[in-house]
Amino acid sequence: MNWKRVRHLVNVDRKSGRLIRGQKLSRYAENRLLTYLIYSIAIALGLVVGIVAGLIYMQLGNVDVKLQASTYFGLENLLVSLPTIVLLYSLVFTTFQQIQRSGVSASSQPPYWLPITWEEHTLASILANLFGFPLASLFFITCAVLTVSIFICQGVLALATVVAVWAAAFMASALSESLRVLQVRFVGAVYKSTGRAAVWVRFVGSVLFFLLFYTAYFYVTQGSAALAFVQTLASTQNMLWFVPFMWLGIALYWVTRNALLLTLTFAGLSLLFIVGLFRLAVWFNRNFGLYEPPAITVSRAGYAPKAGWLERLGFSKPEAALFRKDFRAFTRRRELMAVFILPVVILIAPLMQSLNVSAEQMPYDSTLYLSALVFLMPPSVMAISLGNFMTGEEGQAVWRIYASPLTARSFVKSKYLFILFFSFIVSIITGAIGYVLLHPSLKATLTFSVTAIYLTVALGATSLSYGIKGADFTEAPRARMIRQSWALVNLAVCLLAAIAIMAPFFPYMVTQVMNISLGQLAQLWLGMLVSAVISLVITVLFLKISLKNAEELLSKAEI
Amino acid sequence: MNNMFAVELKDVSKRFGDIVAVDNLNLSLKKSEIFGLLGPNGSGKSTTLKMLIGLIKPDRGVVRVLGMDVVKYPLEVKKSVGYAPESPRLYEFLTGAEYLDFVGDVYDVPLSEKRSRINDYLKAFQLEGREGDMISSYSEGMKRKIALISAFLHRPKLLILDEPLNGLDPRAARIVKDFLQELKSQGVTTVMSTHVLEIAQALCDRIGIMYNGRLLALGTVDELREAASLPDSGLEDVFLKLTGTSDIKAVVEELLR
Repeated sequence: MNWKRVRHLVNVDRKSGRLIRGQKLSRYAENRLLTYLIYSIAIALGLVVGIVAGLIYMQLGNVDVKLQASTYFGLENLLVSLPTIVLLYSLVFTTFQQIQRSGVSASSQPPYWLPITWEEHTLASILANLFGFPLASLFFITCAVLTVSIFICQGVLALATVVAVWAAAFMASALSESLRVLQVRFVGAVYKSTGRAAVWVRFVGSVLFFLLFYTAYFYVTQGSAALAFVQTLASTQNMLWFVPFMWLGIALYWVTRNALLLTLTFAGLSLLFIVGLFRLAVWFNRNFGLYEPPAITVSRAGYAPKAGWLERLGFSKPEAALFRKDFRAFTRRRELMAVFILPVVILIAPLMQSLNVSAEQMPYDSTLYLSALVFLMPPSVMAISLGNFMTGEEGQAVWRIYASPLTARSFVKSKYLFILFFSFIVSIITGAIGYVLLHPSLKATLTFSVTAIYLTVALGATSLSYGIKGADFTEAPRARMIRQSWALVNLAVCLLAAIAIMAPFFPYMVTQVMNISLGQLAQLWLGMLVSAVISLVITVLFLKISLKNAEELLSKAEI
Repeated sequence: MNNMFAVELKDVSKRFGDIVAVDNLNLSLKKSEIFGLLGPNGSGKSTTLKMLIGLIKPDRGVVRVLGMDVVKYPLEVKKSVGYAPESPRLYEFLTGAEYLDFVGDVYDVPLSEKRSRINDYLKAFQLEGREGDMISSYSEGMKRKIALISAFLHRPKLLILDEPLNGLDPRAARIVKDFLQELKSQGVTTVMSTHVLEIAQALCDRIGIMYNGRLLALGTVDELREAASLPDSGLEDVFLKLTGTSDIKAVVEELLR
């Protein structure tokens, strides 16, 4: 193993994303301050959290000794559970990072024809996966744990926890490296065996994968389920001694019991397991790393075009062509498929918790709140996501749009139609699910459905305007689609727009929930009418801005 | 506007930061002319071609295509022009047939014509049988063929082709060459850049040699020979002399040292 080569490879992988996005590519110089800013913030945050937690712990001693003792026990449990939690988080994050990467072969294949061993290549890839958010999290945890340990006088446990946490992150990254290579090989085999259906198998498979992935992620990270998860983990970890991923946590448990032999045994086993995971990743890379998936054949019949339904509805040929092209992009590009999952996933966490309570047992307010969430959130999120991504998803092939005789009006019309089309489909599906699960009244169902339409048309237009303005056509190492600053601005404006659209309903809601009379002002029909006007104004305004932004984009047209 | 010329560039300049990509370029091309732009890497050929279709705006000067100012009438220009870039990035998630269908619709080609043209081109370029596969699985040569077909598909009056024969097999290259000659007889103008001097010599009516963003020489092969004072030499020698890169022997010896 040549460590210098590994360091160079890690640097190449780490820098590729930033350098590729550099606006000034000639005489580019990296801003070290900005590069390491995220890590500095993580360290500072870790210190603050550690000090605050420590001070609270000390204060508890003055107030209630019993409470201090149970807090101490809770902190100890948390430290013992940390390696497993970090392992899960890192696995989720690094796997997600790998899935989102586009043009992987272009960026990951050069090492294969350079004189680099598989071990060096695999190790560099595993380490590079950890840069960014996972590494910042590790810095945060390290600082927080070491700082708090001073207050609770648990220096040895804290040091052992830090070592275990870093080892867990490496373990997760090594596993995700194996999964990445394996899924390419597996997907290739699926394409081969499914023939023409491969394109739809891929779509359904990816959507299901994301769905399961997000569900698991939200379940273990959100709300009371997350807390229950940590408690369960701490209490069941030792029972799962036969699962190697638990060995780091078990080793820490024996540290708290001062059992040196058992600590060393499980630490040694963990080390062996990490080496095993690394060797497995190397083996997968060596055997399948160069594997090219077979071609996906969409149609074996010769080329025979037909007039589409959009042309029959009065859309021009270029507009319909752009719509069809985008439809294929969102059903065939894996990084875009995730867009369909997000609105569904947002619902999963609250719905899962609500399912424990039957609709009859649930208080009226909760049902109404959940129904509003189910009816309004998914189409809104879909409209915002699609509006943000519809322009940037063109990627480097955007020259085709620039070089074509496509007007700004046609561009906006086609993209906006696409946003509405999919958002309305989502609205119908999630609305139906909400109606079946939560049984809202007919009046509530109609109100929520109409409001969902108001929100979709307005937020779709708003997001489209910012999506065009902040379009980012970068494709490697992953498709960006919109610059972060514009995505944040869009989110803030959409939030304000959504509040404005829903505000006219508040008087009616107040009369219903608080049982007070506000007279004519609280009529539902009045709220719907005013809301419709506000939605219309926002829509028209932002469609005009979209048009202006599209004119600017197409006239600037520099690639 | 002078309708005699298919392409007119007047005092055109373009800078990218400190780099002068095109420096005060003046060029006029007659209709139904096949014009070749030669020059070393980074000499400004691709930038010039991109300015002709409006993908890059000149900092100074006027670019007219088929009598229309490219900046003032971008849509009209794009409708009349077929363009194939040097490294075409295609929509890789589409099949070859879907991509061409998309391009045909964007240029508003009537359905029946689109069908027959796409089928004819697929057959001519030996892409039949692969048109239903996603472009992501195509070789570079196949992608180049798709990019060329998409430039020809709407029967443009002006073709702007950046290194059109790169990566093509000999049969496809010959088809493109003969096809361009046939289009010339139908009044279509072609502007192409190439590094293959034999192709320029065999195909182009006139050749322009660019170097450091400037047009060093312009004319037929014979006129260029005269300009370089090399009456019996091939285009390669003329090119090397004009671009000041005739020190090849010394460079090779230096490399071997």
